[in-house]
Amino acid sequence: MGETETITSESTRLDQPWNVVVHDDPVNLMGYVTWAFMKVFGYPRAKAEGLMMEVHQAGRSVVWSGEREHAELYTQQLQALQLRTTMEKAE
Amino acid sequence: MKVAPTLDKRLRIDVESDVDRLVLQAIVVDARATGGGLADHLGGGMPRELAGDWEELVLPELGDGFDRQLEVVGRAVAALDGEGEIYITVNDAEFWYGALNQARLALEERHHLSEVDEELMPPPLRSAWYRSQFYLMVQGMLLDYLMG
Repeated sequence: MGETETITSESTRLDQPWNVVVHDDPVNLMGYVTWAFMKVFGYPRAKAEGLMMEVHQAGRSVVWSGEREHAELYTQQLQALQLRTTMEKAE
Repeated sequence: MKVAPTLDKRLRIDVESDVDRLVLQAIVVDARATGGGLADHLGGGMPRELAGDWEELVLPELGDGFDRQLEVVGRAVAALDGEGEIYITVNDAEFWYGALNQARLALEERHHLSEVDEELMPPPLRSAWYRSQFYLMVQGMLLDYLMG
């Protein structure tokens, strides 16, 4: 009976980060968008306001980047707060 | 109708006429009159590799959350017996804010109020615009006094 040789190899590849993107809309109040960023991400007011202004002026803002599972959770939380939010792979 | 914050951190809405009650009842009516599901609208732009799971797992949960917001507001308004007051607590503030937002989103979707000149609005549109402005005003008070 021949012997079976088992060869294992491991490789580690970092997942590509995902962006959480919030889009502008004509309904949500600027103060509410700031409040939502502070609530979901725990951002300080100044950072939350900066991102809110980017959403308002540029039409969209990448509000968080990182691993996919967290990005999905944040996206779901922002959508639950009625912010139009999508995900995209970071460049 | 009067809307004002109370010293114990609630928002009090005084309902002084049938018209006031109709305006409050219109929150849920307006919110439910949206053409497509709000969850579908908010979660519809996901990349292809996530869209299937999102549709199956996330959107129903979002829809349930939005329904709960309307139930909270609907129950409070239905409990009014003629004239009276509604008190919005800190715990209910996000439900009310969300319901009002749903109503404004639905009105915007149907009438594109943000693009219409207020001076040139025909009467039916003007009524929708006034409701939207009232909802906006209450949202601002919720944000300032209860959610801050």
